[in-house]
Amino acid sequence: MQKEKDIIDGCLSGSRRDQELLYRRYSPKLYAVCLQYSGNTEEARDVLQEGFIKIFANLSHYGHEGSFEGWMRKIIVNTALEKYRNRYYLSRVDDIDEVDEPAAGPDTSDFAGLEAYDLLNMIMELPPKYRMVFNLYAIEGYSHKEIGSMLNISEGTSKSNLSRARDILQKKVTILTGVSRRMINV
Amino acid sequence: MFDKEPNIDIVFRNGLRNFEVLPPSDVWDNIPPMPVRKPRYGLIMGIAAGISVLVSITLFASWYLRSSGNAGEGTQLAMAANDQLAITETPAAISNTVIPATTIAYRNTSVQAPVTVKNNDIIEGMVETPVVSPTVSDFAEPEEVTNYNKTLPLTNDNITVIASTRLTGHGSFSSQTMTPDKPEASEQRFMVGASVSPSMGFSPSEQNAHMAELIGSEKTRPSYTTGLTFGYKLSQRLTIQSGIGLESVGQTITGVDVFAGLSDFYSAKSNYLYSVETASGTILAGNTDLYLADTKNRVGSTIPTDMADPSKYNLTQVGSNIHQVFRYLELPIVLRYKVIDRKVGLNLSGGMSYGYLVDNYAYTRDEYGTIPVGRTEGVNVHSLSSQLGLGMEYNISSTISFNFEPILKYYVTPVSDFSGTLYKPYSVGFFSGIFFKF
Repeated sequence: MQKEKDIIDGCLSGSRRDQELLYRRYSPKLYAVCLQYSGNTEEARDVLQEGFIKIFANLSHYGHEGSFEGWMRKIIVNTALEKYRNRYYLSRVDDIDEVDEPAAGPDTSDFAGLEAYDLLNMIMELPPKYRMVFNLYAIEGYSHKEIGSMLNISEGTSKSNLSRARDILQKKVTILTGVSRRMINV
Repeated sequence: MFDKEPNIDIVFRNGLRNFEVLPPSDVWDNIPPMPVRKPRYGLIMGIAAGISVLVSITLFASWYLRSSGNAGEGTQLAMAANDQLAITETPAAISNTVIPATTIAYRNTSVQAPVTVKNNDIIEGMVETPVVSPTVSDFAEPEEVTNYNKTLPLTNDNITVIASTRLTGHGSFSSQTMTPDKPEASEQRFMVGASVSPSMGFSPSEQNAHMAELIGSEKTRPSYTTGLTFGYKLSQRLTIQSGIGLESVGQTITGVDVFAGLSDFYSAKSNYLYSVETASGTILAGNTDLYLADTKNRVGSTIPTDMADPSKYNLTQVGSNIHQVFRYLELPIVLRYKVIDRKVGLNLSGGMSYGYLVDNYAYTRDEYGTIPVGRTEGVNVHSLSSQLGLGMEYNISSTISFNFEPILKYYVTPVSDFSGTLYKPYSVGFFSGIFFKF
């Protein structure tokens, strides 16, 4: 298998073959991230495409220090955030008592890992504002202050959205596995 | 070290780790080929081309000025010949052409030999003593030269004077081309001096939205250039200058909170933990004791998010800005033209400057001093800038002069090709220097 550094160098020299190799190697993982943030396959596809264009455009700034996959993931997450901001800013509602209709889930035939798919499907079904906060806090590890800045909401709203997302996910997990919320939280 | 968090978070984090989904097959088809980075030799060729153009301009200017001087002399000789011819053929006209001795009250007595006149009938009333020849400065006193009816060819450096004297037996009309005193010929052609040029940079308006956002959160810092300048006077008015200098430029990245004390909680495995996107490149924070955060998505981190959240540590904020500094070794080539050549003169200058990046660092500042942050990646090592100036030259003495010149400087090559954009700032400053001529 060709080394990661060689592929990157090949991409930098303009080799389309290496660019495709890089895409084929990392796109499955990054597409999963896109789905996690996007809520549907159409938007996830757009995020993946825009994200890879940015990755290629900025590849020269990756200094082979730190995780390359982490670097790409950050670009994908930022692209998803931009998409979210553009799409939901005008219709943003911060009232925590209001629950949006769950977004349509992906076609199950697209996925291979059932357990992970179940988790992903649960996240994708969350209302967008809950989904974004849960992903950024629980998966990426950002603080509420940072999330507030990223999504242009207050820290309090971020905490509330997270709490609401957890509640929804907890119920879904409980239903799916038959394990009570109490047991999960032990 | 880690906050206690609900298990539901861990269930999802671990469950989705390494999860892969094959994307639709047509996504790759819609991703355009990555633009190939410009090879470095392109920049080198550009610099070489710039230098070639400057050298060509200099050589052409030198040749032109030299040939202009020759043309002037030739013209005068021709005029002298014509005058002589006119004198021969139309004697009546000569009385208006020759210089009556009574009107010549010139100070200059530098004529080496008198000129004789053969035809005594033609020249009436001429003095029998040698006629002294005037100099340019002498003719500049019109009140003393009252009997001229014909304009003398005084427009060039050399003056042809038709002089006459009454001698018996022999002699003929002749003209003598005289070269006035030329202090320039022996004056100092070389100069050396020290200069300093404080300036303030500006960023061009940027169409790329992301770039514009980055530039919007950055402030240019005052910069300066110091150096030694050498000059060679190509002609009375044109000078070519070069030298060596050190240029220091930079900017302040606002809105980045810097906290210290991270090394107490997190042991870094990479060379840097945080990066900050800027218009000039990406700052890699090699100081792994710092935790960086901002509100504009400029800060990136190599800390795995599932391992640690530094925002939850008890860290001390030491700054809210990061300062970038770039130092270039500068080799300028400037042509300077004296628009007004007096004691207080006016100069027009233009040229180009090659810069080689010799220092690159970023720091923040707290109440106790500066704290190093790291360095900026993506900054072009070579730079080429053009400059244009219009300023004053004060000649303190014949050998010492002082220059003060507002200059506009524009980067021909981008400071960085970050994000595929060509970020080319420009600056307005003052060139000031003191020069010794020899």
